[in-house]
Amino acid sequence: MLFQQIINGLVAGSVYALVALGYTMIFGILGIVNFAQGEIYMFGAFGAILTLNATGSLALAIPAGILSACIVGLLLERFAFRPLRGMHPLIPLISAIGASIFLSSLARLMFGPEDRSFPIDFGFEGFNLFSAYITWLQLVIMAVSIIMMILLWLFMNMSRHGKAVRAVAMDSDAARLSGINVNRAYVIVFLLGSALSGVAGILMAIYYNSTSPGMGTLPGLKAFSAAILGGVGSIPGAIIGGLVLGIAENLGAAYISSNFKDAFAFIVLVLVLVIRPRGILGSGR
Amino acid sequence: MSVYIFHILIMTGIFAILALSLNILAGFAGLVSLGHAAFFGIGAYLSSLLMINGLGFIPAFLLSGGITSILGLTLAMPALRVKDDYLAIVTLGFGIIMGLVFLNLEITGGPDGLTGIPPVRLLGKPLYSKPGFLGLVSGILALMIASTWMLKNSRIGRAWAAVRDNDTTASFMGINVYYYKTLAFIVSAFWAGLAGSLYAHYTAYINPHTFGMHTSIQILSMAVLGGLGSIAGSLIGAFLLTVLPEALRKLADYQDIFYGALLVALMVFRPQGIMGRVKITDIFGRKS
Repeated sequence: MLFQQIINGLVAGSVYALVALGYTMIFGILGIVNFAQGEIYMFGAFGAILTLNATGSLALAIPAGILSACIVGLLLERFAFRPLRGMHPLIPLISAIGASIFLSSLARLMFGPEDRSFPIDFGFEGFNLFSAYITWLQLVIMAVSIIMMILLWLFMNMSRHGKAVRAVAMDSDAARLSGINVNRAYVIVFLLGSALSGVAGILMAIYYNSTSPGMGTLPGLKAFSAAILGGVGSIPGAIIGGLVLGIAENLGAAYISSNFKDAFAFIVLVLVLVIRPRGILGSGR
Repeated sequence: MSVYIFHILIMTGIFAILALSLNILAGFAGLVSLGHAAFFGIGAYLSSLLMINGLGFIPAFLLSGGITSILGLTLAMPALRVKDDYLAIVTLGFGIIMGLVFLNLEITGGPDGLTGIPPVRLLGKPLYSKPGFLGLVSGILALMIASTWMLKNSRIGRAWAAVRDNDTTASFMGINVYYYKTLAFIVSAFWAGLAGSLYAHYTAYINPHTFGMHTSIQILSMAVLGGLGSIAGSLIGAFLLTVLPEALRKLADYQDIFYGALLVALMVFRPQGIMGRVKITDIFGRKS
């Protein structure tokens, strides 16, 4: 029972971690909270399922989903955040909340309010490991998340653009003086964050076999809690925060109260902000 | 038709109290809350439960404001350890947790909410007529406007402005920053609780859905549209955002899109709102 809950928590947590990476990178470089991250996640899932319905090909659907998430992310950066650069953080925060409402209601108009399930049966067979039952799908979700995280790490540490992004995060003026295209760095961060959230949205849409316009709101906010828990701005922190939150939520639902499952993430969030606002790995602000 | 107009005016009045109460917090003291509907809901549930259990309207009304302000104080204690956008997130978390509490407690009626809430009783008679209720709401709103105006121009209001503009400087000048921020939470929660009480006895039915994040955002939109820091602005914001959606009933599907686009457009083009003289970017100071 305990082991099973931890496994379920790790699956949910690795998806939170993917979305949390988007939050943490955007916060690290722009100092703003992109509240619409959950909506990017939702558009990723819709892009995939609509393409799948139209073409029947999963190989086309997944890139289409990631692409739609990236497009939404780029539009957000251009219209809701770029004009507000350098302002007090509350201004982009309110703008981001507006963008999040705008996108989820736009999705409701475009795709209808009903829940859509995947036309493909992915199967939920699995195997027993000690006392827990793990499905292949759960294993795939964790594996994909880990691969995405490794790719992100390689990009940030090994590539030219990744180094430019890190330089801008440290000091955007100094980065500009040394010839780095700061605008391009912002765009790259939004692209990466959106792609990760899009992948997370597709994985979760398959896992729960449901896609709806409101599906991004709660995971988005929980991933945000995960980013804060790990320490905003820290990439390993976002991953640890996501996993800890996923496990805490599942254990809380199993042993305390399943009605309050969604509350645990926010109780953790409030406690972290009050006790240690820097988070587990944060370097302070 | 006239009944309908009275209904709209009553809702405008209730939302004006809410928008103004958020303005005390966000516009005067610089503490943006994204969970204001939680206070609204606490007031509504408290007042309903007190009256269902036999209390008169006036004690239930005052107690709902009083107890909500005590809860405002308890939220302020942990929340004020952080500021700016972090504070906004803590209040958002508080709003979501309270929403789940309303949804899952037995005493609040769970997802079905509370029905058969007794009407307002004044001088021993129940108040059913809409014009009469409008009179009550207007009276309370007038009282609130007067007291808020006096507060704004008092020592307390000036201390809030100092804390909002720069809390470090304010503390160097001998202002107890923590005390004034907490006070803003208490006053704001008090009025939001009263608004909740009025709403509950007016509609006679409440459910958790009304007090969710959607309403928090609606209240924030009103305060921001009118202009943070402006009393008249909150009234105008509440009026416009209650009347416009009614006028555009046919476009009900587009309402949320409108709210979302409005917030983004306001922040990009006119962050000071309709009545604001200065940009809130200047009010809050630029990010260093």
